[in-house]
Amino acid sequence: MFYQYLRNELWKLFGKKRTYIGFGAFLVGQNAMLLMFHFTHWQEGVEKLLQGNGYIPTEYVSALTVALIMLIPQIVMLMPLYTALVGGDLVAKEAEDGTLRMILCRPISRFQLLSAKWAAGVIFSAILVLVLGATALGFARCWFPWKGMFVFAPGMVFNTLSASEGLKLYIYCHLFLTMNASVILGLAFMFSCFNMKPAAATILALTFLFVNLVMEGIPFFERYREWLLTHHFQVWLLVFSQPTPWERVAESLCVLFAFSLTSFLVGAAAFQARDIKS
Amino acid sequence: MIQLKNVFKEFGGRMAVENLSLQVPAGEIYGLLGHNGAGKSTAIGMMLGQVWPTGGEVQICGFEVTTRRREALGKVGAIFESPAFYDYLSGRRNLQILSTYTAPTTAARIQEVIDWVRLGNRADSKVRTYSHGMRARLALAQALLPKPELLILDEPSDGLDPEGIHEMRQTILRLHREMGLTILLSSHLLNEVEQLCTRIAVLNQGRKVFEGTLAETRQREKWVRVRVGDFGWAVQGLSQNGLIAQHRDGALIRLADGVGTDSVVSFLVGRGMAVFEIAPEEETLEGFYLTLMDQQRQDS
Repeated sequence: MFYQYLRNELWKLFGKKRTYIGFGAFLVGQNAMLLMFHFTHWQEGVEKLLQGNGYIPTEYVSALTVALIMLIPQIVMLMPLYTALVGGDLVAKEAEDGTLRMILCRPISRFQLLSAKWAAGVIFSAILVLVLGATALGFARCWFPWKGMFVFAPGMVFNTLSASEGLKLYIYCHLFLTMNASVILGLAFMFSCFNMKPAAATILALTFLFVNLVMEGIPFFERYREWLLTHHFQVWLLVFSQPTPWERVAESLCVLFAFSLTSFLVGAAAFQARDIKS
Repeated sequence: MIQLKNVFKEFGGRMAVENLSLQVPAGEIYGLLGHNGAGKSTAIGMMLGQVWPTGGEVQICGFEVTTRRREALGKVGAIFESPAFYDYLSGRRNLQILSTYTAPTTAARIQEVIDWVRLGNRADSKVRTYSHGMRARLALAQALLPKPELLILDEPSDGLDPEGIHEMRQTILRLHREMGLTILLSSHLLNEVEQLCTRIAVLNQGRKVFEGTLAETRQREKWVRVRVGDFGWAVQGLSQNGLIAQHRDGALIRLADGVGTDSVVSFLVGRGMAVFEIAPEEETLEGFYLTLMDQQRQDS
């Protein structure tokens, strides 16, 4: 039965055009960044950085390197926006449109319905992240050769990898990115379970993330950074570190999983208690 | 089929439904009447487990809705005013989605219901292209999918044109006749309720102020239509002599207890007034409803 509920949610989710806005925006963004990287001083800067550290730039300015460079700003800016948009819609849009009332006059339990919606949201997050990663790599490959990978994130990672090792970690990091996307979607989903408009749920989720991001940048909060969600979102980049800080990765994954579960349960409790009226 | 026992519902300090008890027996078409905000939709919401009662018991098909939802709603279909669908999906896909929330439904059953509501060749078109009437038929189709024994209709004719209202009325009668469904109908259209229902309940400010058969509403107050030369002069005289209790609309009188029409006629003729017509007036549901609401206002 759960499979059928999930199939329903996927039909609904992938049947509407606004679900694809994120995919479209990513494609446009990736191509714009690719052109910027190629035709501005951006590429030059990366080459100088490599040269300054004793590497041959032509060996590492590759499809994998550029794909990752393109990915970082999109992960920070666009991914939260689109996952929050979809997460905020999952329950609140149905309540607003009146279709939730049509569903809840049937014998399905509210918890089952929410579980199916949440699972559909996680599937959407995974597809969004995988498409994002695949297209970034595909577009980058059109312009750049298949060579070694250079990863640089200030204060976190500075590493060079062979193409095969780089590809393996590139695929690997997308699993962690899926986790990040699911957490953001879950946060918006939680707000969506309360009696509010879909836009309000999305805005609240983004506000929460923005506040986390701002606090993380303030030196005073340095000692509290483990409490900030955005700190744990960095885990996907840590897989490129040599050696990989597994303890930190495990800790962040636990925090993200717990956060996701908590937001689902809070949302489910709020949804269970509320009255569904026209 | 439906049993509400001393049900209360409070929204933020405002009592939406107060001490409501209702019993809808199997096989009836039961009308729920009341003005906007009287508590009809809240009562229906509680019957369908969408609104949590603050107190009391709500049983559907013998099961408590709040605790045994699956059993209680397994054989229930519902239609709301302005039925909402996934406009970007086809009618058939909407039915596939909604049916699974009750039980797995075969494609043949979905086609059978589509044919029954005469949605025919438009079932695979997107719902956004449907007219009001087609949406109403789709709403009916989704309500019929689980092969219901009880149909709850909340303002089903809302937004329909006169032809659509007539079609909906005929469909409700057909459902009752051919499938033997028990139907709870909430409507503003007194004419519709009068033509369909066998029993009604009237809600006012969350309280039930009347429950009974349609025949009882007609017998409750007996009005007599009189056509005389000067109605004002006639009622003045009749009132002074204690022959009538009330009058209205410039033509209707309600006789005092124990007084017959013969006494009225002989009184008027005795005073030299020509009586052109005197006949018992059949009370309409509208007349009954308005009088009831008037009494409620006076009581409060």
